[in-house]
Amino acid sequence: MAGFLRTLYLAALALFILTPMLVIVVFSFDANRFPTLPWGGFSLTWHREALGDAMIVSAIWNSVIVSLGTAIIATILGFCAAYLDYRYNFFGKRTLMLIIAVPPAVPVAILGMAMLAALSRTPIFGTPMGIIVCHAAIAVSFAMALIRLRLNDLGPDMEQAAWNLGASSTGALRHVVIPFCRPSLIAAFCLSAAVSFDEFMVAWFVGGVNETLSVRVFNMLLGQVNPKINAIGTLVLATSIVLVSIAQISARLGKPGKEAA
Amino acid sequence: MTDLSAIHEKAAPPTGDRKPARRAMQLLLGVPVALWQLAFFVLPLIFLVVITFWKVRNFKLEPAFDFGNWEKVMTSTPFQRALFYTFEVASITTVLAMLLAFPAAHAIALRLSEKARARWIAFLIIPIFSSYILKVYAWQVVLSPGGIVNVVLQWLGLPAVDLLGGAFSLYVGLLTLTLPVVTLILVFSMMGLDRNQLEAARNLGASGWQVLTQVTLPAIKSGLGLAGVTAFLMSFGDYASPVFLTGSNPPTLSILIVDTVKSGSQWPRASVVGVSMLAILTLAFVLVQVVTQKRKIGGV
Repeated sequence: MAGFLRTLYLAALALFILTPMLVIVVFSFDANRFPTLPWGGFSLTWHREALGDAMIVSAIWNSVIVSLGTAIIATILGFCAAYLDYRYNFFGKRTLMLIIAVPPAVPVAILGMAMLAALSRTPIFGTPMGIIVCHAAIAVSFAMALIRLRLNDLGPDMEQAAWNLGASSTGALRHVVIPFCRPSLIAAFCLSAAVSFDEFMVAWFVGGVNETLSVRVFNMLLGQVNPKINAIGTLVLATSIVLVSIAQISARLGKPGKEAA
Repeated sequence: MTDLSAIHEKAAPPTGDRKPARRAMQLLLGVPVALWQLAFFVLPLIFLVVITFWKVRNFKLEPAFDFGNWEKVMTSTPFQRALFYTFEVASITTVLAMLLAFPAAHAIALRLSEKARARWIAFLIIPIFSSYILKVYAWQVVLSPGGIVNVVLQWLGLPAVDLLGGAFSLYVGLLTLTLPVVTLILVFSMMGLDRNQLEAARNLGASGWQVLTQVTLPAIKSGLGLAGVTAFLMSFGDYASPVFLTGSNPPTLSILIVDTVKSGSQWPRASVVGVSMLAILTLAFVLVQVVTQKRKIGGV
């Protein structure tokens, strides 16, 4: 009985989590304008219309640029921070780690306003570059966490062996540490890209007329019910899920039998 | 053997004995990321505090040292109302999320097989990073007067219900945001529990309730604190659910900020709201930290 109730409860939780995503995907293929039952028959109309919308297409390109830029910067900075934390002790380390870790905990409305106020006087305001620098400051937190977790498993021996064999500090870093961290670097890259791809508030505030896909979706949501939203939503969801899944699989790689740990 | 361990102990970064090179490496790794976070995270926040004292003249910001904005905002009824309302919504969401997540996390961490648990963890991570505003929109269409729920009710011959635009839809949205994260944090904290200890308590005659309140909960105190703070923080700052599921009525603090910034140049007042929010969140975080830490020391 207890087992049955447990299964039922977990199923209810899974249903609660899945329902909104399924609604988006299922109704994006519905011929009806308004997403409700009964199902109006399979149709690709809305997908076609969405991809024919110039604003959506340019938003897709902006998102690609911003996500890639964010992912590259956040991964590099995240690796530096993680290795620094793993290897060295220095004055101000706790403060540094705090300002790297904490940005995702700040409500995006506040972050967006602060970044807007600060960037509005600089030439990168209203450009994809402006969004990238802000997104990177947020995403580096996740990148560092993933890479730091991987460095925990490195152990002191490997690097020491390299040093004993005559490798320089940078040599050991390049030939031992970075290859060892590769799965977590891929994970950090994909998760940072997902975080950036998904974020709309900061992108909306500092992006000016350069809308990313999330901002476009948000602006569409502010307007009338529009069946193109479901079609675009399906693309957005699929992208996020793929990125996060790759991140998860990569983060678990190289840890045989330790998945649960 | 002795020789080997001697080598092992002596092994240090090749540049380690030369302090300047070691220092250079640290700077090379640390300076870019430190500058980045300072420039694009810390400075904007400091600037936010600074402009709360600035003045707006002819729709333009002017540097000043004026407490007028603080006074205006703190004494304004819309702000006070929004503050109280946001606090209330965040508190209720936190309680709901904790109560709903706990049984699930307990089952996932302690009752499922290792394989099923790994699958659940993977499943819970995905919604955290996948388009929250779209999910809020999805609830909007599910709960709307002509939406799926009401169509199904109609088929069953039941009267239609007005689910959208009130507290119910708001909490559905906020739980969509918080439930996966809270469950995940609780799963991780309960995975660290000593199952033998739990079983020992059972064998010594403790009831399920006693095991829960006297063994399980005290052991995961810091996890409970973290989960609670996370739920509070996320719902306190949330923008999408109140906008799309209650139509901004009544407005929350985040809505106040966004509306003020987007509608004109009253940035100083919006900044006052933002800085107040940060102060409240910091206070909540420190408070929970102190409480969970103290009891841990006292309990063990």
